[in-house]
Amino acid sequence: MRFVDILAKSTKQIKHHNMFKIESKDVHLHYGAFHALKGINMSIEKNTVTALIGPSGCGKSTFLRLFNRMNDLIDDIKIEGQCLLDGKDIYSKDVKIDDLRKRVGMVFQKPNPFPKTIFENVAYGLRVNGITHKSFIEERVERSLKQAALWDEVKDKLKKSAMALSGGQQQRLCIARALAIEPSVLLMDEPASALDPISTAKIEELIYELKSDFTIIIVTHNMQQAGRISDTTAFFYLGELVEIDSTKKIFTNPNDTRTQNYITGRFG
Amino acid sequence: MEKPDISRKRLAEAIAFWIFRLLSLGVMGILFSILGFILYKGIHVVNWDFITKMPEDGMTKGGIYPAIIGTLCLIAGSMIFAFPIGVMSGIYINEYTKDSWYRRFVQLMTANLAGIPSIVFGLFGMSLFVNKLGFGDSIIAGSLTLGLLALPVIIRTTEEALKSVDDSYRHASLALGATKLQTISRVTLPVALPNIITGFILSIGRVSGETAPILFTVAAYFLPKLPTSIHDQVMALPYHLYVISTSGTNINESRGMAYGTAVVLILIVLILNLIANAVRRYLGKKYKTN
Amino acid sequence: MTHLDSELKQLRTDLLDMFELVLSQLDKSKQSLINLDKDLAREVLVNEKRVNSYELQIDRDCENILALFNPVAVDLRFLLAVLKINSNLERVGDIAESVCQFVMNFKLEPEKKLLEASRLLEMFDVSKEILKTVKDAFEHEDTKLARSVFTQDETLDEININAHTIIADYILNNNDRINQSLYTLSMIRKLERVGDQCKNIAEEIIFYIEAKVLKHKSFQQKQETK
Repeated sequence: MRFVDILAKSTKQIKHHNMFKIESKDVHLHYGAFHALKGINMSIEKNTVTALIGPSGCGKSTFLRLFNRMNDLIDDIKIEGQCLLDGKDIYSKDVKIDDLRKRVGMVFQKPNPFPKTIFENVAYGLRVNGITHKSFIEERVERSLKQAALWDEVKDKLKKSAMALSGGQQQRLCIARALAIEPSVLLMDEPASALDPISTAKIEELIYELKSDFTIIIVTHNMQQAGRISDTTAFFYLGELVEIDSTKKIFTNPNDTRTQNYITGRFG
Repeated sequence: MEKPDISRKRLAEAIAFWIFRLLSLGVMGILFSILGFILYKGIHVVNWDFITKMPEDGMTKGGIYPAIIGTLCLIAGSMIFAFPIGVMSGIYINEYTKDSWYRRFVQLMTANLAGIPSIVFGLFGMSLFVNKLGFGDSIIAGSLTLGLLALPVIIRTTEEALKSVDDSYRHASLALGATKLQTISRVTLPVALPNIITGFILSIGRVSGETAPILFTVAAYFLPKLPTSIHDQVMALPYHLYVISTSGTNINESRGMAYGTAVVLILIVLILNLIANAVRRYLGKKYKTN
Repeated sequence: MTHLDSELKQLRTDLLDMFELVLSQLDKSKQSLINLDKDLAREVLVNEKRVNSYELQIDRDCENILALFNPVAVDLRFLLAVLKINSNLERVGDIAESVCQFVMNFKLEPEKKLLEASRLLEMFDVSKEILKTVKDAFEHEDTKLARSVFTQDETLDEININAHTIIADYILNNNDRINQSLYTLSMIRKLERVGDQCKNIAEEIIFYIEAKVLKHKSFQQKQETK
């Protein structure tokens, strides 16, 4: 074999190995006696948006929270199987939860800025991670606010309370806050469900733009939202992953009749 | 179908409303009549000399200066002891224990502690702090005893204050890689602080008025000098009030002084409440959550 | 630009490319006829597959955009118009293809006299002109231009109506060229359809821009709705 071929082959292997940013392998999750996730297998590529859809209680939010280990906060929980981030099991003993959460940011359903100033909200993640360098923090705050398309609206009132912002602005602030610690994955749990249509549209455009820098997983109850912003859609039902495919495929010709019935509004 | 009797419903509504209104007015009436009675009887003896002079002539003349200072010392002492411990216990119970039999047990015990009669605290304080630990009758023994008394109130209100902090703040903080301690100190506690201050105010009110716990641990019958260390005895307003109205050298002579003392005690509690309220308001604004 | 906007823009570009391709198909079929250039005719036949794949591609894109973005108002009308313009264009492509199939069957070079008398070449030019007009109308969202198509189409109709007497006369005088004459008549019949397809396209353009439905209206009514 020629050297070039070997080189080509090895880079291909490396590429293959790095292809999935996030993987779950046969993940089961129990809350006490309740079997919430039943053997989920999923592979998510880097720089894509994956939408998790399904009726309430289908396990999609629980699945999302596996990846920054927010489920650990719940008592009496049992997790089996593997959750991999960049090929490494995030539930292994040598992974520190706070380190993991620096790499996997999260945005919640309800905008939940801290009752602090706008600046301090964005700087929070940096401060709790021990960064004290003033100009570094300032720079990062500005960049994060710009990334979250909020800078122009708040640059003159960084010292004002975040509580004075509108709901949509608060949610973008929460996104900026999550971006400030430079995660590579962004988990979003119905980030626009508490917002008006205009704010929702802004958040959706933002997600579409953030895709180039982050790998995004989003839980949504809004089917149209999944269609508009995601590359891949996964349909959960009763704790099972019924179907995962490109969003175009799911929305035009899903394989499973349950998926079809759900996205056409015939049940769920 | 029978036509509903609307006028009767309205009447019932009106009667209930007026009963509630009269009852609440009655409560306010009682409060104001007590205050009014004491002010009426006592305000004429309250003047600058009264609050800055030592008692004279078997406590029938002069002022109540040492008792005021003594009470302030006891309030400060008991809060220094009880506030941090109470807040930390509250944090422990609400943030670190899971909702289990253990938490409920601790909560039950705290509630029981609050139900113990204050004279029992006094006896306990005497046997532990005064005798066993050898503090003698002193500010420190009295403060610790009063602190024990205030502890359940502070624990309970801290717990409630923390419980009322929306979980979404904790989750947001944890999701940013903060540790539990960072989350508590930087987010949860500041948000809960205004309500914790309420517990602080309540316990100051409780502590400043208690007589029984200080009876055997700190209070002096007559001591016309200021304390110089925490090992000194002091006079205290509630005890002084008790003394000059029941067992003074000349009860009739000192009657006016007794009412004056009551006025001062009420004013001190009132002023401390106002200050604490202002702090609470300021913090509430600073950490406004909606 | 929003995500939906960029998708719509891409779709518009694709459709314009398809317009361009169909135009060149028409042009090439004309050239192949004049010179009896069978190679060129064959090229048109091959290229027809490209037209078809454009059609499939645009259909699929429309389906995806409808499914994923739930467009409304002008966006929705645009997509519906694109869907129909797409199939009309594909038919124009088919017409160019069938012209070339006739060319492949020609044994002799078509006589200049026949082509001139039947006005077939003029017909080619007019249909190309009409197609160009609807393309421009679509590209610049110009409904006035789109409406001009209804007038241009009259010429094609006129040629078509007169064609069969002319061809019949020609056959009487040229018994040796009966086949060729019949092919010519067929081509005229085909090219007349180009005008109809373009009229449909123009109607869709007006529907998309002005939200007015012109289908099944008389020529007079179409002009009045301005």
